[in-house]
This record gives sequence, C-alpha cells and structure tokens, in this order.
Amino acid sequence: MAKGFMRRFPPLKILTDEQVEAIHRGTLDVLQETGVLVYNEKALSVFKKAGCDVDFETKRVKFPPGLVEECLRKCPSSFRVKARNPKDDLLIGQDNVLFFNFPGTDTVDLDTWEPRPPTKKEHIDLIRVLDALPNVHFLNAYPYFGFSGGIPEVMKEIEGVALRIRNSTKVTIAIANNDIDMFTIRMARAAGSEIFANPNTSSPLTCYTDQVNACFLAAEYDLPSMIWDGATSGGTAPASLAGAVVLSNAELMPYIVLLQLLKPGARVAVANLVLPQNMTNGAPAFGEIGVSLHNVAFNQVWREYGVPTVSSSCGPTSSKRIDFQLGYQKMMPTLLSALSGSSILQLYSSIYGEITAHPIQAILDDDIAGMIGRFLEGLEVSDESLAIDLINEVGPIPGHYLGKKHTRKWWKKEQFVPKAADRLTYPEWVKTGKKSCIDYAKERMEEILSTHKVDPPLTRSQEEEIERILKEAREYYRKKGMITDVEWESYKKIIGG
Amino acid sequence: MNNEILEGLRKAIKEYDNEKAENLAKRAVEEKLDPLRVLDAMTVAIREVGDAFGRGDLWLPDLVGAADAMQAAMPIIEEEIKRTGAKRESLGTVVAGTVFGDIHSIGKTMVCTLLTAEGFKVHDLGVNIKAEEFLQAIRNYNADILAMSALMTMTAPEQKKVIEQLKKEGLRDKIKIMVGGGAITEEFAKEIGADGYDPTAPGAVKLARKLIGR
Repeated sequence: MAKGFMRRFPPLKILTDEQVEAIHRGTLDVLQETGVLVYNEKALSVFKKAGCDVDFETKRVKFPPGLVEECLRKCPSSFRVKARNPKDDLLIGQDNVLFFNFPGTDTVDLDTWEPRPPTKKEHIDLIRVLDALPNVHFLNAYPYFGFSGGIPEVMKEIEGVALRIRNSTKVTIAIANNDIDMFTIRMARAAGSEIFANPNTSSPLTCYTDQVNACFLAAEYDLPSMIWDGATSGGTAPASLAGAVVLSNAELMPYIVLLQLLKPGARVAVANLVLPQNMTNGAPAFGEIGVSLHNVAFNQVWREYGVPTVSSSCGPTSSKRIDFQLGYQKMMPTLLSALSGSSILQLYSSIYGEITAHPIQAILDDDIAGMIGRFLEGLEVSDESLAIDLINEVGPIPGHYLGKKHTRKWWKKEQFVPKAADRLTYPEWVKTGKKSCIDYAKERMEEILSTHKVDPPLTRSQEEEIERILKEAREYYRKKGMITDVEWESYKKIIGG
Repeated sequence: MNNEILEGLRKAIKEYDNEKAENLAKRAVEEKLDPLRVLDAMTVAIREVGDAFGRGDLWLPDLVGAADAMQAAMPIIEEEIKRTGAKRESLGTVVAGTVFGDIHSIGKTMVCTLLTAEGFKVHDLGVNIKAEEFLQAIRNYNADILAMSALMTMTAPEQKKVIEQLKKEGLRDKIKIMVGGGAITEEFAKEIGADGYDPTAPGAVKLARKLIGR
C-alpha cells in the first residue's frame, strides 16, 4: 500500500491548451536563443556531445528544441523511491499526493515569537515529530540548519543528515552546496535508504558547479532527483506570472536534459519555489495569491510533460507567529496546488519564510494535510453511499440517522477529524481551560516525544559507517580550509573529539 | 536652457528613463554646465524618490528604476568632474561588495548608487568578494566605511570572517562597518561586531551618514 493520498478527480486547470503551448514554445525559444550559463566543464562537454551550441569560453549553452523535448519524453511520469523501512517507500506521480516539510534556519520562541538557533535536542525533537506524523511522507533537507554550539557552516547539513538518519526512517534530500552531497548520499546508502539528489537552479538562467555536479552524483548512484527553482517574480524573474513560468521552466530544463543524457529514464521531479517579490522590502511575498497562480499554471504545464511536480512554496508564510495570517497563507497555496495536480506538497513545520520552523507548527500542519488529503479522495457515489433505501426507511421527523449502522460505517469514512483543532462547544471549552489549537498541538508534541521510537533504529554497523563518513567529511573540509582552526576547537567539543 | 537640462534630468530619474537621463547628461557636458550642479540635481531627484519609497508611496521597482536612470547618467558626469578638475566635497570613502559565496547584487548595487548620489566616494567591488579582497581595497582606498551584503543564510557568516580578519590585522578600529542583505538581522549585525545595519537602501544611506557623523 503506497503512502499518500490519491486524487480521484481531474486536476484544476487555469490555462487553455493554447496557453500551455505558448508557455512551452516560449521556454524552448529562451533555451535556443539565449540559453543558460553552465559553470561546469563536465556538463559543457556532455551538452556539446548531445548537439547543444556550447561556448566553452563564456560557458553559455543553447539547447536545440528537439533535444529538450526528447529528454522530457524520457522522464518517467511516476516512480518509486526506496526507504530504509518499506513502510516509508514512496510512490511519486500517478495522482498520488505526498507531503513533506519546509525548512527553517532557526526555531522560534513561542512566547516572544523571535527566532533563535535550536539546541541539538530541539533539532532532534523536530525530526522525531516529523518521523511520527503519518502524513509527513519524507523529510526535506535541514529541518533546522544545524544547532547551537559551534558547528562549522559547511558541516551543519552533513551533521543534520546524520541526525535525520538516526532519528527517522523516512527518505530525505541531499542538498548540493560545497560538495556536501558527496558525503550525505553515502550516509543514506549506509542506512539502506535512497536519498533525493538536489540540483537547484540559480535565477536567472544560470547553473552553478555544485548544483550541476548533483546530476552526475544522481547518475553515479542511480538516485531520484528533485530539481528546485526558486526565482522571485519581479526580481530574478519576470513580474508577469506566465513569464515567470517560462523562466523557471527554462531554468529547470538544462538539469532535465543533463539527467536524461547521463541516464535515460532517470527519476526526476521538479520543485516550484517561485515567489512574487515583496516590492516594499525585497523579501519574497510568501503565501500571497501569486504563489498559487504560479503553482497552478506550473502544475498544468508539467502535467503535459508527464513530470511530477513539487509545490515547494506552500509551507513558508510572511507571518512571524502561529496565527490567522499563517493559517490562510499555508492553506490557500497548499489546497490549490493539491487540486491542480501537484504530486508533492511542501507544507510542514515552517513559520516565517526559510527562517523559522517548529514541531508545534508541524502538528498543526498535519491537520491541513489531513483535510486536503481527505478532499482529494473525493466522494463515493454508489448504491450504498446514495443511501436511498435508508432515507426511505428513516423518513421525516422524528426519524434520525444517529443510531444507524450505516452512520457508524460512513461518518468515519467521510469526515476527517482534525487532531489539534478546538472543536468543543462553548461550555466544554470554558470547563477544559479555554485551550486553543496551539495548546492541543503542544500536548500532542509531548505525547509524541515521550512515546515515539524510530523503527527500525540503525544497526551498530550502520552507525559505525555513518560515523566514519562524518569523520571523513570533517577531515575533507579541514584540509580545504572550510573549517578553520578556531572553528575546529569549538566543533571538537560538540562531537566529543 | 541650463535649467531645462537640469529639470529634464531630474524628471528622467523620477520617470525611470535611462535613455533620457544619459542623453541629457551628454547635453549638459556639451553645454558646459557645471558638473557639480548637474550631480546635485540628480541627487535631489534620487533623494525625492528615496523619500517617497520611505513613505510607502513608491515601491522597489521604482527605486531600482530611478537608481538605474541615475547610473546611466553618472559615468558621463563623473568623467566631466574629473576632466574639469571640479572639486566635490566627499562625505567619505566606501568599499562595498557582496561576500564570498554569494552572487546577489541588486540590493548592494542600489545601496552603492544611493551612497554615490549622497556624496560618498564608493568603490563597488562586486559580488563573491573574499575577505582578503575587502581588506586590500580598504587599504588601497583608505576607506572610511566598509559595506557588506549577504542574501543567503549560508553566506552571512562570511561577514563575520571579514570582520575577524580586520581585527587580526589591526584595521577594525579605523573603519565603520555596515552590513545588509536578506539574511542579515539587527541582532546578527550586533553579534558579528558590525557598527550598523539597515534593511532598506535609503536607510543604509542615513546609516552611513550617521556612522561617520556627517
């Protein structure tokens, strides 16, 4: 039984077929006319050999439309990803809808709502909560960026992957900056799990070395890839949303082409983190309506291509608190993305942008995911659900349905009962201490943290192998000068070296 | 005639018209206008745009548009200042750049333009600047202010590295340091020992004046 929710009705469309075609033609035109900058010698050679117009001096690559279309056809429309425990294997595509978390650099103080670095325990607590929540189907990179105490910058996510593998059986993602995926991919493999390679685009129209290398690693280790595009519409992409779709598509294509040239049929999903720019302060306008319009159009175009999409912009909001604004800024893009055919929704645990996340928020998001998941399953129309016989039997008042066997069977099927929502009547609410959804989420968090166990834990030999790879990474970055002597001294205290 | 050119330049900046600004700058040179007066006219215009942005009447694309128009005219006027040997009193020398590992330039460039307009001598080193490059420029230009930008959380700590390097080489007390960019907060600026932070470009100009007491 695959994890996730099955969408049982046609996806929402916002574009006509002609408009989809215009976006496609525009994308091919940009790739052929202007092309992209590719700062990676190996990739330049691969593109050259495949018939691209490559200028090795300026690093500019222009793509023949036929090659792009051929590579798109080679992408599988659905695929599986193997987790350490088969219960966490993933099916991506085929109208199956999955959820995962959006990262925060820091945690947030629930009294002052100010960000601060999490402790190691808080970092692990968030991983454990995400591991326990049934609708978190896999884990993003982070969920926090390192923890307090003095981990060198370059080691934060490598240590983070080790924490995730030790505390969760769910598949995770290997970000590509500074070659760290060279180590994290091997760590996942040591634990018997696949991990997503993660090449990210740089807007506008630029591919950097590390990100391109991720494609080579994906081919070498036969891994699925998730390519992110995070253009800001009005800043690094056109302010017009159709233009922003063209630009982000043109940025994703070089990676699609490279992946399919290196390994035809390579598993790949495209992640959409395009956000409008807040024209007052230059920050991304998280959660605003442009996010949803872009997501829905993007989903429709990539559905034509048969490549699964990830709606990455569902999770972050502009709110600093867990409040009304956060609620609508999460719910609206997540629901519209789900309705329009996203295979994966990146919803959980984030509060403000990529800055703050919290396990309480993850628990609240679990209710959003549950509600949307229930909606996607649609409603059954059958003899039994139409219940004509039953309606005739119960008849008018004083007839009722509460005691019927049919009710006992169907209400649970049809209703989704949120776990953290306040659903009490007024008198009940007063009597139980006027609790809010945040109070209920805290209670659920405490329960999870006191009872949840990772299943199965790492074996001793897996643990030793991960420790070996960590050591190797630390030495590698010390030699490269990316861990200074001063940093090493405080880092040693954390790792007990 | 002269006033017509100055008024036109002012308007070109406020209407975000690069071409017009450049052409009028050229005409100003042809008509032998005092380049310092031309610069003043442009500074007034950009300040008006900055103030309107501060009030929330204008938006970022307007601010960048005005800065771009100003930039189109600037090299022509600067060249004329150099040629005529006109003396413009400088508020101070700024070395600016986006830190190593980070290639975001929009905000940094805007701050540089506004600082130039205000009367600072600005050396914009560009993006992806290593600590040693900042240090070398500070020595070469005998800078009063170092302005560093970082957009990404992962590159923000690079600002700290530069400050530590300045301390190591005994230069820290000789210079004021301002930091900015999407990844920076007031708290972070304090933590790494910078002298000031502001989230907006017009705010950065006010900060620069404050830091050097002008």
